[in-house]
Amino acid sequence: MIGKDVWNQFLFTSDEGNPMLPEFFEFHNPTRVVYGVGLASDFKAELDALGVRRYFIVSDKTINELGLVKRVVDGLRTGGFEIMGEFLEVPQDAEIKSVNACAEQAKASGAEGLIAIGGGSVIDAAKATNILVSEGGDLIQDYSGAQTLARPLKPLVAIPTTAGTGSEATIVAMIADEENRCKMAFTDRFLLPSLAVLDPEMTLSMPPKLTASTAMDALTHAVEAYVDLQRSPVSDALAVGAIELIFQNIIQATEQADDLEARGALLVASNMAGIAFSHSMVGCVHGMAHAVGGLHRVPHGVANAILLAYGMEYNFEQAKDKFVKLALFMGEKVSGLSVDNAARKAMEAVRKLTGTLNTMGALPLRLREVGIPEDALPAIAEAAVVDGTSFYNPREVVAEEILVHLRKAY
Amino acid sequence: MGVFESSEKFEEVLVGFFRNLGDTPSIANKLLASKLIIRFTYSDPDLVVLVDCSGDKIDVRPGDKDTKAEVEMSMSADIAHKFWFGKVNLMAALTRRQMVAKGPIPKILNLLPAIKPSYAMYPKYLEEQGYSKYNIH
Repeated sequence: MIGKDVWNQFLFTSDEGNPMLPEFFEFHNPTRVVYGVGLASDFKAELDALGVRRYFIVSDKTINELGLVKRVVDGLRTGGFEIMGEFLEVPQDAEIKSVNACAEQAKASGAEGLIAIGGGSVIDAAKATNILVSEGGDLIQDYSGAQTLARPLKPLVAIPTTAGTGSEATIVAMIADEENRCKMAFTDRFLLPSLAVLDPEMTLSMPPKLTASTAMDALTHAVEAYVDLQRSPVSDALAVGAIELIFQNIIQATEQADDLEARGALLVASNMAGIAFSHSMVGCVHGMAHAVGGLHRVPHGVANAILLAYGMEYNFEQAKDKFVKLALFMGEKVSGLSVDNAARKAMEAVRKLTGTLNTMGALPLRLREVGIPEDALPAIAEAAVVDGTSFYNPREVVAEEILVHLRKAY
Repeated sequence: MGVFESSEKFEEVLVGFFRNLGDTPSIANKLLASKLIIRFTYSDPDLVVLVDCSGDKIDVRPGDKDTKAEVEMSMSADIAHKFWFGKVNLMAALTRRQMVAKGPIPKILNLLPAIKPSYAMYPKYLEEQGYSKYNIH
């Protein structure tokens, strides 16, 4: 039974199999993070500290058309920085071809640093570009994998225009390999940007559907970071902080697009969740979402939003003590409930949230609503099992069991 | 000075163990299913071993630096030795750069459950093959 002292009970005790202190953990976050409304137009002070004057801009067509690139570039020029060139063609999923093209132009431009303005794809492309600009070589052959870099790269500044991926705070870049039809992961602490500029004004142009799905992506990062096998007390703290901010602001930011306070809260939450999962990684929800995205082109945030509660259900026995704590950060009351019932409150909270967003027309609730045929579910389950995220999930990821939950999500 | 006194001795011990794993169907079948070609590059003492799981049998080829490998793993001989005792947390080793892995990391991670039984086999193998001085107790 959960008592009134629930906070102490779950904050300071450990449960069998999930000790409070893991055998090993590392926390490494050299990225300078600055937050402020309007900051993307003037962050001269932070750039001065980097000691680099000549920059190359990486972004995409939509961000450019929305005037967000101009806003940043005008501020940079006013501050006395030189823009040596721009690559504004990063596709929806960053791929090798565009990274190579971007790197070629950036190198030829003579820039000393990169500035990425965009969502996760743009920031990931800029990270990969930075490898080639700084070190040369072949992106896949020489650098795909873990910790393949031996020294710091050129300064990279990331300005996110969505509040979901948290890529401005992670050691990971995902780049699509068009030839082999797969996504390659680059994991290295030297990929972390030197500076992340969080300006909620840069996210104002997101339509309600994108606001909701990207925030649900950040929520999934935080929830999975909190229960994963590689979690630590540091990632835990960041994850629960992100969860609280998301629950308090996602509806408002989706409903009221120009609410800078709510936008800002989601941007900060996305950053915190990014730092959390960059250390503890993600689990079976992402495994299923990667499969759904890879096989059926469902946007990542939408897939995570649909699957989060089902993934939590999958991990229930292994993670229920943690879910009790999460329920509190999700705004649920658990006093007087059994551990099982208190833990279920966390899943109910996620379902209530996605239900509300669905009523607002901002999110689908079922896999069948995003164009997935029912007979595709077994293949999705198989793909989820071999996804790299399976390794970190608190429960072994087994295709037949995952399929049960995919059918429920259908 | 590391655990192994020379590249020759390290090769003798490790390649023998890899071949032993290749002859153990419960492990070999899972490795063969992955179709992976992995090159291990060790230091202190230096050694290169290619493990080719792309055919019908696991082919262990010491010194093969030419075959194109999907995954390249680099580490010291001591870390490799500890790993086969089950005493290295792979993710921690990658994070601390005690190991460097080039290529599709998920494929490597997914092989871990398959090779788990080998952690018990390694000390037994060392004992049986007259390498008991390398055993960690």
